[in-house]
Formats: sequence, C-alpha cells, structure tokens
Amino acid sequence: MSKGRLTIALAGNANVGKSVIFNHLTGLHQHIGNWPGKTVERAEGTLHFKGYTIDIIDLPGIYSLSTYSIEELISRKYIVVERPDLVINVVDASVLERNLFLTLQLMELEIPMIIALNQMDIAKKKGINIDVEKLEKLLGVPVIPTIAIKGVGIFKLLEKAIEIIEKGQNARRIRVEYGKEVEERIAKLTKIVEGTQFFYPSRYTAIKLLEGDEEIERMIKKMDPKITEMAKKLANELENIHGHSCSTIMSSERYEVAGCIARQVQSIIPPIEPTIEERFHAITTHKIIGYIIMTFLLLLTFYSIFTFGGYTSNLLSNIFYGWEPIFESIFGKGILGEFVWGGVFEGIIAGTTIALPYIAPFYFILYLLEDSGYISRIAFLMDNIMHKIGLHGKAFIPIILGYGCNVPACLACRIMETERERFLAAFVTTLVPCAARTVIILSLVGQFIGIQWALMLYLFNLLIIFALGRIAFKALPGEPTALIMEMSDYKLPHLSTALKQTWFRVVEFIKIAFPLIILGSITVKLLEIFSLFETITEMLSPITVAWLGLPAIVGITLIFGVLRKELTIIMLATLLGTTNFSKVFTPIQMIVFTLVAMFYIPCIATIAALIKEFGLKKAIFVTVFEIAFAIILGGITLRILNVIIS
Amino acid sequence: MEKRREIEKKEVPLTALRDGEKGTITSIEVSYGRCLGFEKRLMDLGLIPGTEVIVVKSAPFKGPLEVSVKGSRFALGRGVARRIFVVKNNV
Repeated sequence: MSKGRLTIALAGNANVGKSVIFNHLTGLHQHIGNWPGKTVERAEGTLHFKGYTIDIIDLPGIYSLSTYSIEELISRKYIVVERPDLVINVVDASVLERNLFLTLQLMELEIPMIIALNQMDIAKKKGINIDVEKLEKLLGVPVIPTIAIKGVGIFKLLEKAIEIIEKGQNARRIRVEYGKEVEERIAKLTKIVEGTQFFYPSRYTAIKLLEGDEEIERMIKKMDPKITEMAKKLANELENIHGHSCSTIMSSERYEVAGCIARQVQSIIPPIEPTIEERFHAITTHKIIGYIIMTFLLLLTFYSIFTFGGYTSNLLSNIFYGWEPIFESIFGKGILGEFVWGGVFEGIIAGTTIALPYIAPFYFILYLLEDSGYISRIAFLMDNIMHKIGLHGKAFIPIILGYGCNVPACLACRIMETERERFLAAFVTTLVPCAARTVIILSLVGQFIGIQWALMLYLFNLLIIFALGRIAFKALPGEPTALIMEMSDYKLPHLSTALKQTWFRVVEFIKIAFPLIILGSITVKLLEIFSLFETITEMLSPITVAWLGLPAIVGITLIFGVLRKELTIIMLATLLGTTNFSKVFTPIQMIVFTLVAMFYIPCIATIAALIKEFGLKKAIFVTVFEIAFAIILGGITLRILNVIIS
Repeated sequence: MEKRREIEKKEVPLTALRDGEKGTITSIEVSYGRCLGFEKRLMDLGLIPGTEVIVVKSAPFKGPLEVSVKGSRFALGRGVARRIFVVKNNV
C-alpha cells in the first residue's frame, strides 16, 4: 500500500557522519550530481519505508546558516523554498556545543525536525557522556543517539522521522532567547516583516536583518526599503549598547544558549592519556615528520592510482581492440566501417581506457583522504606555499594529482571553499603536465636533446603556473578566503560508503564526459575520412610554419592531441613514418613543439570535466586562453632560442 | 601586584602567543571594509569575544596556527590570526 511521497533532508556540520547515514538510508538508490549551476555536490536517494516512498537529500556540510559559503546558501534556500517534510539534523556528540549552534539556527527556520546525535562512540572515547533525554527536553526536539558507522540507531531514526511527519511536531520547542534589548528589537522588526509575506519565517528574517545578512537584506530591500533602513537603525542602536558589531552580538548570544544547553546535558571526564587519534594528529602535523608522512602518502596515492590505472587501461584496451575484427566483419572496411570503429567506438575506448581507470581509484582515494580527515592536515602543512598563488593549502591536492591526470585533478578542485577558489585551482591544474604530456616531453626532448632539458621544461612549466596563477588570482574578482578550517579528529572511513560514493560519482562522470569524448572522436574521424587533413595543415600553416617554425604536418597532430595528448607524439611518428624525430626536427623545433603541446589545450576529457564542474562558458574560456597562450609562448621561445643559439 | 595585572591584560594578536599559551578573545578586527564573511565564519565556529583559545602549535615557515576552541581543533591562516585579539591568560 503506497501512502505517498515524502522528502527528508539531512543537515549538519561537515565531518559528522552525514554521508554515512545517507548511505545507510538509501543504499544503492541514489544519485550524485551538482546543485544547479554550482560546484557543490548534491546527493539524493530514495527509500521505501512503512508504505512511503521517501526522497532523502543530503545537504552539504555547514557550520551555520549565514551566507559565508555557497554551501550555506544552498542549504538555507533548499530548506525554506523546497520545504522538505522533515529535516534530520545530524549532530556530532563529541563537539556538542558547536553543533548545537547550527541546530538552534535550523530551529529558527521553523521546520519539523529531529536530531541524530551521531558519533556517540567518539564522544565516549573522549570521556563525554550525554544525557539524551535531558537534551531532548531542553530543545523540545526528538533526539536519537546513533553510531552511523556501525549502523546503530538508523532504524530508530527513520521510525521517529515518520512518526513526527505523521503526527506533526508540537511547537513546544525552545527558541533562542536573546538579551532583552535584542529581543525588543527583534519583536519590533518581526511585526513589520510579517506584513510582507516574505517566504522566510518572520522572526528569522528579523534576526538575519539585524545580523546584516546580505542576501536577505537584498530581497527585503526590493520589497520594502523602509524595513532594511529600520533594521540598520536598530542594529546601530544595539552596536552602541554592546560595543560590538550586531552579528557578533547575535552569534555570541546564540553560542551562549548552545553552551548553556551543552553544559547541562554533558558530563566530561577527559581521558588522562591522549587518544590514539590525537597522537596521529600530532605526528601528521609535525613540522618535520608531518612533511615526510605527507610526501609518502601522496606518493603512495599517486603510485596506486597510476599503477591501477595503467594496468586496467592496458587490459581494457587490449580487450576492446580485440573486437576490431568483429566490427570489420559487421560494418566492412569501407567508410561506414571506418566511421563506426574509428569514430564512435574508438571514442568510447578512449573514454573507458583513459579516463575511467584513473578516475575510479582517484574518487575512492579522495573520499578516504577527505573522510578520514587527512586532507585538512595537508592543507595545514601546505597553506603557506599555496598562498603565494592566492590559494590556500587544500589546492595542493589537485595540483599534485594533475601530474598524473588533469581530469581527476579538476574534479578534486571541489574541495576548495568558494567558487572563485575552485575555478582558480582548476585553471592552474590544467597547466600541470599530466602523464600523457610527460610522454611527449620525455620521448621528444628527453630522448633526443637530453634529460636535463626535459627537466628544464618542467621547471619552466612550474614558473609559468606560478606566474599565471598569480595573475589569475589578481584578475579574478573577489577576496581571497583566508584559511579557517576545522581539523576534526581522525576517523576510520566507512568502506561501503566510500565504495558507493565512488561508484555514483563515476556514473555521473560518464554521463557528462562520454558524449563529448565520442563527439570529438567522430569529428576527427570525419576529417580523416573526407581527407581534410591537407586543407587543415594549410589553414594552420601561418601558425605552425610561419609563427612556430614547425613542419606543416604538426597541425594535424595537434588536433589529434585534443583527444588524448600522447596522440600528438604517436601521430607524429605515424605521419612522418619514423620514430627517430631527430631526422625531421631540429632541437629548437622539438622544444617549441613540446612547449606548445604542454600548454595548448586541456585534452577533451579535461574539457568535459571543466564543463561538468564550471559550466560551458568557463570551460571554453580556459580552452581558448590556453590555445592562444601556448601559441604565443611557442613563437616567442622560438625567437629567443634562435637568438641565443645563433 | 595591581600593576602587573595591568600589563598582562594587554591586548595582543593571537599570533603573539607562543605554542601552548592560552588567551581570551577580546575583539576581531575587520579592517577591509564591511567584510562580514571572515568575521562571521570565525564566530560561526565559536571564536567569539570572551572565548578562550589555546594555541596548540604553528606550522613551519610562518604557516597557519593550530588552535583549540570549545573542544574543536582549527587551523587559522596567519592573516586571520593576526586580526584576532586576545588577552593572555595565566596558565
């Protein structure tokens, strides 16, 4: 018997085990995408329970409901505009006070909610004991203790959720009572706001107006500018009384209430010996050992992604290419056969053998690094260096990954906080020479000129990254967000959650990247079938021959390189009929060619990843910029080298 | 005695505290215009005037500070820490 559809949203701080609860609830019925137009992940899933079909939305991890980050904005809007039937606030029992700060704000949104008091085991380890009944009584909201990682309390949580939705929640929950002067002004403002029919609750709107919340201020101003003026006046009065900014006052008082509740319900007997998690933290952030461990772990990450990737990639392409005769027997060797095999199917092969073997293990390891809490330690150690290009420590991860493959590196940029930082990091990342570009550098410059020249190119690349990063940092609007980051206790990641997340993210990637890769492959094949190569080399010759001083034939190889960068060198060998490049290239030509191949365009899979994360416009911008940059740089290098050598 | 306390009550930026020292936040300086963002985030995390902060350690090469506030552990970039003013607490 179906009783209809319900929506439940999960909300809570980052690192409280929300995604584990989400996975327990939804199992394999989930979908991971992005919030419309944002680089923030949106995880949705469904489950059936007691005759209901329940949609679960896992809101991004947040500390507050202000407008500091996109995540906070998204969460707040979702709750108020989409109005889920219930919000489950996942609270970390081991840091109760800070988590209650968000809880109190969620309660101000006046929505039905229950609390999952999670990580009870970690709290216990820290010697924290919580009186659940008392907490429930003080808040007036049902509280279910859970240990998500072991599945404890999840069923109860769901039962309670349904019970509340069916019965409705009685409104005897507490609300934050601010100081007398503040309450007077809230009341005054609430009354006026009530008249506007604004979609946020009136009291909440009043509070946010006093706090100077930019988004709500803007919306209210459109409806009635007199209200915002009034709010400013009232806020000023408060600032004069307290001597602090109004948002400080409100936050302090909210924390006061949170602290007061926390003190009443918890008793703490701190363990005498530091816990094993604390010891790990101390070692991994140590000023010498920390860096050694980091280097080791990153090398291990790198190594495992690329050994696994390389192995699987080989295996898969052997299998796929084994099918070629079958295709030939079906479609013949004519134009149709060429088109189906070389255009469509080779595109699929390229996607499956290049992207997938690397991004699947990458997603898995990234999840482990993130969920265990290690990423924040890397950010701590690397913050100072990354600041030089306007990014903070976390950006180190995508950049390092970029040396393997730009695709996962671009996807990793979502660990940055703001849209601006994400884009900046992704831009820098696409300049990092990936494994395929390393093939070009080593097999051309490394082999025929000397390994020291290859290393010089790497160094030069680093310089360019540094310089362009700085310029982009100055050019992009917005202020740099300084590092303010929680380093939560280390914890063991939940394996099945990690695997499921990896799977659903890979599926999402396939959906977006594959059509593009196949399309690119078809285009190149069509050019070949209609023998347009010559026309193209001629069209490109002003650039390739006149400006870059290269043989005209490289025009085609550069086009193939868009599909996969190592094709530039493979095609070169095919078209020239030799692998001894020193016969056809002068050393200067080799350097210029390598430089252009290094910078000229991210490969098509990277472009797809950029589109997925940042939208078409920004992806095109990066692509066009890098083509122009590579060509200009190549030409200038040629002229400089000519002068030096002659 | 009274005079000594006066000296100790002096406001200093959080960066002036040595590893292991504690301080109580007195104010957060918001110099660049109405940049509520960064001040707000600090407060959302519990770094509010009147709260005790423990500087656990600082990362090498003038890296971020590790601080402990209300039982949570945070990394604060130097630029942020310089704007947080505290009164040193006696250990």
